[in-house]
Amino acid sequence: MKKEIVIPKLRPEMQEAVVCAWLKEVGDPVKKGEPIFEIETDKVVTQVESGFEGTLVEQCCEEGDTVGVLEKVALIEETA
Amino acid sequence: MVYIDLESTDVYENFGLEYYLAEEKKLEDTVFLFWRTTPTLMLGKYQNLAEEVNLPYAREQKMNLVRRMSGGGTIYTDLGGWQFTFIDRYKEEGIEFKKYLSPVLDALAKLSVKAEFNGRNDLCIEGRKFSGNAQYHLGESIVHHGSLLFSTDIEKMVNSTRVDEYKIISKSIQSVRERVCNISDHLKEKISPEDFKELMVSAILGEENKANRLELSKEEILRVKELAKTHFQNWDSLYGKNPKFNMEKIGRFPGGKMHFSLEIQKGKIQEASISGDFFSTLDPEEISKAFVGLAFDRDSLLKGLTERGLEGKLYRISVSEIADMLA
Repeated sequence: MKKEIVIPKLRPEMQEAVVCAWLKEVGDPVKKGEPIFEIETDKVVTQVESGFEGTLVEQCCEEGDTVGVLEKVALIEETA
Repeated sequence: MVYIDLESTDVYENFGLEYYLAEEKKLEDTVFLFWRTTPTLMLGKYQNLAEEVNLPYAREQKMNLVRRMSGGGTIYTDLGGWQFTFIDRYKEEGIEFKKYLSPVLDALAKLSVKAEFNGRNDLCIEGRKFSGNAQYHLGESIVHHGSLLFSTDIEKMVNSTRVDEYKIISKSIQSVRERVCNISDHLKEKISPEDFKELMVSAILGEENKANRLELSKEEILRVKELAKTHFQNWDSLYGKNPKFNMEKIGRFPGGKMHFSLEIQKGKIQEASISGDFFSTLDPEEISKAFVGLAFDRDSLLKGLTERGLEGKLYRISVSEIADMLA
């Protein structure tokens, strides 16, 4: 089943973040807790981890794109 | 809180120490550092060197160039300023700046400096910024670092971050330029940067933490030096990590005007189109081709264009003039 990885809300006022770097490519296996991409917001760089084990099947944006809080960034095909 | 007295003014090693403490040492307690650097330009993690730094000036002044692991904009630091670092466990509380900045504000208040936050988590006196702050989260650790302008050379700061106007298209993080001030100008009694450090460190540690000092072992110091090299002081971390960008630049040389249109990705020129009113024995395609694949830094351009036989082929335009002008 496909699972979404979204931009986390890191503080109440946060509206969006820049997706700065992909740490995994499409087709890469991903473990639960492994970082998939990096975001920058309010001068803070944070790695966003996968909550699932599986394979990265889609990068929904490019490096440098601004994405809203809780919007989809990556899709993981979860291993049953 | 644990304090490590950091005498080093080598920015690469000091960033290496932060990384070591955050990623390998992982102390339960908060670690506090207070340090300074020889003249240095520190870029935010996702910034483009070409957009932020006056490279010819930085070269002439022998300034260090380094990319931080934290976000935000470019800052200039020298021995007249101080950096402070808090390394903490990340406890899912999200982004938290005030926790680390309040002790700094309290310490300044003891020196009768009335400072305040601005909207970008910077600290100001009468609306002028003297402290920029940024963070990175790494696994279970959080690194908060900030700068303090004490008696920094503001003229050098302005000159080194003033970039020629040319067109760059990128999605990199841009610096926000603000009016700045030095703390020493707001002190009733003049003190040295070293005295300022002592007063700030004592105030931030407080009575309860005064004795809680940590010394690194020889092995740890060697590991820090290694991390400095692998993570901060190398071509890839500075140039290779520049976000992809397109640059349009016009060079005015004795032999004529050259218009450069370049696409740079992972620090290397992917596409180049060069035109102008200069004279050459080569056709424009051959000249453009000579740029493709070269690493986009001054020394690599100089070496690469020379090796590819461009020297002497452009009338009254030397390869070193091109390299100096571009990067």
